[in-house]
Amino acid sequence: MSSEYVQAGGSVTAPPPSIDLTRRVRHASEHLAQPLLWACAVFSGAVVGVVIAYVFWYALPIFSRQALPFIATGDWDTAIDMAWTEPDVIFGALPLIAGTTLTTLGALLVSVVLGLGCAIFLAELAPDGLRRPLEAVIQLLAGIPSVVFGLVGLSVVVPLLSGLVPKDAYDVVTDIPLEGDSLLAGIIVLSFMILPFFVTVAVDSLRAVPRSYVDGGLALGIDRWRTITRIQLPAAAPGLLAGAVLAIARAIGEAIALSMVAGSIAFVPSAKWGLQYFPFMPVRTMASAIVETGGEGMSIPLIHDALFGLAAMLLLASLVLSLAARMIVSWWGRRLALDTGRSL
Amino acid sequence: MRVSPIKGHARLSRWIGPASAWIAAAVVAAVCFFIVGHIVREGYAHVDWKFLTTDPDPSPAESTGGGVRIPIVGTTFLVLLSTLLTFPIALGAAVYLAEYMDERWAVTKAIRLGLEVLAGVPSVVFGMFGVAMFSHGVFTFMSSSGAEGSDVAFGRSFLVAATVMAIHVLPFVIKVMEEAIRSVPLSYRQGAAALGVTKWRAIRRIVLPAAAPGIATGVILGMGLAAGDTAIVWLTLGGTMNMAVDNWWALDQIVNVLRGTGSTLTTFIYFSSPAGEGNAPELAYGGAMVLILLVITLNAAATLIGRARRQTR
Repeated sequence: MSSEYVQAGGSVTAPPPSIDLTRRVRHASEHLAQPLLWACAVFSGAVVGVVIAYVFWYALPIFSRQALPFIATGDWDTAIDMAWTEPDVIFGALPLIAGTTLTTLGALLVSVVLGLGCAIFLAELAPDGLRRPLEAVIQLLAGIPSVVFGLVGLSVVVPLLSGLVPKDAYDVVTDIPLEGDSLLAGIIVLSFMILPFFVTVAVDSLRAVPRSYVDGGLALGIDRWRTITRIQLPAAAPGLLAGAVLAIARAIGEAIALSMVAGSIAFVPSAKWGLQYFPFMPVRTMASAIVETGGEGMSIPLIHDALFGLAAMLLLASLVLSLAARMIVSWWGRRLALDTGRSL
Repeated sequence: MRVSPIKGHARLSRWIGPASAWIAAAVVAAVCFFIVGHIVREGYAHVDWKFLTTDPDPSPAESTGGGVRIPIVGTTFLVLLSTLLTFPIALGAAVYLAEYMDERWAVTKAIRLGLEVLAGVPSVVFGMFGVAMFSHGVFTFMSSSGAEGSDVAFGRSFLVAATVMAIHVLPFVIKVMEEAIRSVPLSYRQGAAALGVTKWRAIRRIVLPAAAPGIATGVILGMGLAAGDTAIVWLTLGGTMNMAVDNWWALDQIVNVLRGTGSTLTTFIYFSSPAGEGNAPELAYGGAMVLILLVITLNAAATLIGRARRQTR
């Protein structure tokens, strides 16, 4: 794009000695602009580098001291309590990793099923009068702050679920009290939080499928719905996958809402008592552990290190997921361009 | 592609499929309306002039009293401050990426990649980073000093929170602004070049004014993100409900306010909810209603600007 028009200095020649001040300033700004703008861009990039380097650097102590126990053992809550007074505590983040994984996968399942229906509706089925309002609704859903999701979940979803806990849970599940604020509550709340992000990407992907694919299907006499499921969805699959990956990235980082509705006890849910109890087990995720403990605990060196261990794992996961989504999209873009001779 | 002739079950699927897509859309819309409606229904009774103009009362005995004046001021402060920090840098970076960047250059490639991955980093990670980074002694000027006799800063203040928030929203804002600048038709630039206008002047006088609505959308988007975030504020603004100084409105207290702790609507809701220490759900709903109205207003502004832009093209 830059070659299309006149470069700085191309049309402005050296000023004659008698030139007035404003023109001299104008001339200087012409030469200053580019380096200044470049500095802004480099500064933005440098900030990224500093954040990433800082988090990984301060996560080193915990991983060099107790790498294996940190990711493979299960003592978090008591370790945090002890760390305020004891000099040496072994932290185990396994329940937090389990909490993050289970809530994320559950929410992904719900939001992909619901979101796919929504995306098909928006991209293909919706009458014009409904498409605009629904797009606005989804945009609004994306804008609702997570603490509001937490508040509504806590006062609506949690009481609803506490009525569904099996009556004999107190006698059967002896390790932990089962209540409404649970894995299931976390999944329900989280799925509606990540849904708009999946739907937005999914709608774009469905619309990016070349019209000729659809027209070809329709010309063969295949009905509208089968054209969607057999031609458009497979063609849009890479974009849908990228949307799901971005939704996962969003889900693993959610802290406040999950700390409010998911039970906030570091516990590895287990199905050994029976599957009907499983959804009602409390969990605590990595992100909510950071926000719950980080307020005051950061001044204790042991807790500081342990929380940075969690932050580094979250950061690594989000970097990997972002890069994966990016690679999927660029690969898909190249393939579509090969198929149709035009770029995405 | 092999497509079998339509059989009985396929005829059934002809309406089951579309029906389930309609149902999915209806469910999502219903949930969204339920959330907003629930907040308004529960919050409406508690939002009055007194609620808006009294300060929070965090003492346990009084947890059902108090209002949201300080949180409203806090949210406004934080949003304005972080916008102030973000805007010039984001605009500069966006102009550079859209107009000057040489796509072949490794540094610019790295910047673009970095901004893209930064947009996916959870806000708790930024919060952690912020409170740890700005607790180093050199940053004492941004907050108060920490424990007596130690070389650490407190690391929690409006300045710290706004800086961290600015880092958090920067990639989103840059992206929206860059797209706005790129969407200005090439013919505008060619016309300017044909008249002998230099590149920077063409950008300043022609491209940026044409892209102004999109740039404004980016700013509003950043404001919405900053107003809605809880994790960063909870970690870097101190988790206290009131400000460090009582007469925060006094101009000579500005430095103390900026270096001091406080609260925003989001942390007020978190604190007042049954999950927090305040345990006053009705206050949380009052705060949530104010916050939702703010978010809806920002959303509507962005939409209106976008629509106006489409019409002028």
